[in-house]
Amino acid sequence: MENSLVRRLIAKPELGPLILLIVEIAVFGSINDDFLSPLNISNTLAFTVELGLIALAMTLLMTSGEFDLSVGSLFGFSPVLMWTLRNSGATSLEVAFVISMLVAAFVGLVNGWFVTRLKIPSFLVTLGMLLVVRGTALFMTDGFPQRTWSAGGSWLAQALAGEFYIGSFRVYMSVFWFVGAALLLGYVLTQTKIGNWIQAAGGNANAARARGVNVDRTKVGLFILCSLMASLAGIISSIRTSAANPNSGTGYELEVIAMVVIGGTALTGGRGTIIGTVLGVLILRVMRNGIVFVGVPGLAYNIFIGAIILGMMALHSGLERRHNAGT
Amino acid sequence: MLRKLAVIACTAFLSVAIPGASQAKTFYWISHGSPADPVWTYFLAGAEQWAKDTGNTVKTSFHNGDVAAQQEAERAAIAAKADGIVTSSPDPGSLVQIAKEANAAHIPIINFNTPDPTASFDAYVGGDNVTFGKRWAQYLVDHHLIKAGDFVWMPVEVPGATYGVQEEQGAASVLKPLGITWEVTDSTLDQAEIISRMSDYLTANHKKIKAIIGLGDLVNGSIKRVFDQVGIKPGEIPVIGWGDSLDTTQEVLDGYVVAAQWQDPQATSYVALSLAAMASSGIRPGFNIITGALYDKTNADIYSKILSAK
Repeated sequence: MENSLVRRLIAKPELGPLILLIVEIAVFGSINDDFLSPLNISNTLAFTVELGLIALAMTLLMTSGEFDLSVGSLFGFSPVLMWTLRNSGATSLEVAFVISMLVAAFVGLVNGWFVTRLKIPSFLVTLGMLLVVRGTALFMTDGFPQRTWSAGGSWLAQALAGEFYIGSFRVYMSVFWFVGAALLLGYVLTQTKIGNWIQAAGGNANAARARGVNVDRTKVGLFILCSLMASLAGIISSIRTSAANPNSGTGYELEVIAMVVIGGTALTGGRGTIIGTVLGVLILRVMRNGIVFVGVPGLAYNIFIGAIILGMMALHSGLERRHNAGT
Repeated sequence: MLRKLAVIACTAFLSVAIPGASQAKTFYWISHGSPADPVWTYFLAGAEQWAKDTGNTVKTSFHNGDVAAQQEAERAAIAAKADGIVTSSPDPGSLVQIAKEANAAHIPIINFNTPDPTASFDAYVGGDNVTFGKRWAQYLVDHHLIKAGDFVWMPVEVPGATYGVQEEQGAASVLKPLGITWEVTDSTLDQAEIISRMSDYLTANHKKIKAIIGLGDLVNGSIKRVFDQVGIKPGEIPVIGWGDSLDTTQEVLDGYVVAAQWQDPQATSYVALSLAAMASSGIRPGFNIITGALYDKTNADIYSKILSAK
């Protein structure tokens, strides 16, 4: 009985990332007491969940066997569009938000259409879209970031990125969006017919089609979801940081993919885990935060980050092999 | 008859238009910066304003620190027989050959923003980063904001880029003899990442940081957001550094930043293009123009108004 419980635990793909996260927190926490202070946890969570929202959608897309490299550019573009509309007096913040999300959905639709109808690899399609979207943001703004504004009074701003305190612990509303999205998408992936379609599309698309799964429509839907989540994350970030810069989100696509893969989702599609992605998101962000607390030289930061990612991937690979052997 | 009238009208139009058109010159404004860097957008605005005011054509391009791409653009301008080239320097020495080629083609080439004395530019317009760095550190010492044995934090967007290296060099000339230590950290060019990394560093090291020198505009313009996130009160840690953004002018007015460096970005472009135009008319500039001023709470609103004009 006990043996089978352990075996089942070992068989979980999320075990490896969970162990990594615990080790990480224990090491950084033992080196610097401030690492586990409420202030630092709150600060770390603020940015973590913004990237996490994109990672959740990317998990489903990667499970279906596709990538989206345009998410970072949408992270920068959508807030620029929203605040340009709002600051110019063209619309209210709420309408500007809806327009931005609709434009993002259209971008996702175009990505999906190119991939499924024209049969172009998603890597190339979304790379092209990355440049189109980033270029549009720059052209639209002449490169100027939107001026710092006050969105404090808006219910939408409060709902998306407001903050409140529990004692000395500051909580951002974005944490709730992240938790809600994780629960919803986790449920969709593991408990619904759509989840089966997603995994089937990524595992063996032809077999899935033969069984009546509309692979193309599933993938298009996931591209739209990815674009929407990237835009939502960008808008939340712009409200929290009081800045909408057309250059925001540069390189996020690769960080998000790394989070998803570290969490246990297969790079080749067919298998994905939302719990793993949540752990992957925390692993990478906690690592970036912890490395500062350890006190590595400022300019050696990237050396340590890169080395730790390589180490973690090696450890993850070892745990994965054990997991496969155990099943 | 109508056809003849049309021919006469066209001839008359061309006889008026062609001399007018021949007076308009074409200049190339070439930047090693990023179009999304706030300070570069002000440099660009100055170039566009100059084109509008003079009726000349200014072809602008950004090269994001890509030396090869910038050299290609400079050579294209030379091949196109530009009336003048106005260029920033991505790295010392990187445009030596380009400047020679422009000299040989008798095309005026004016250096702006980042100086490179090793290249044969006709003139330089802009600040002196080494002097700026020295001035910032000296300000902190002179105002008794730091003393021997203290630690200064210097965040920068792109470690290793000429501007940060030269500013650190200038600051070091003041700090080192006093036994004041410092650290430069990588903050990236991404606003959310800047705030995240700076907040992490400040949370971890706020007890030892006695002052901050913001080596770039983006990091200095993020001070308020970082302080607010970490719970540092305005003025608790003195901050000095770049101040070419509205964020920083406001930070100075609100007491988050004690003093900030104005680089005259629009004016720098405007004057550099004016020098190029002057040189193309045969009057070679025999001088450099050094821009920039350090401002504080008493005069920050002047720069705030200039920046608000865009």
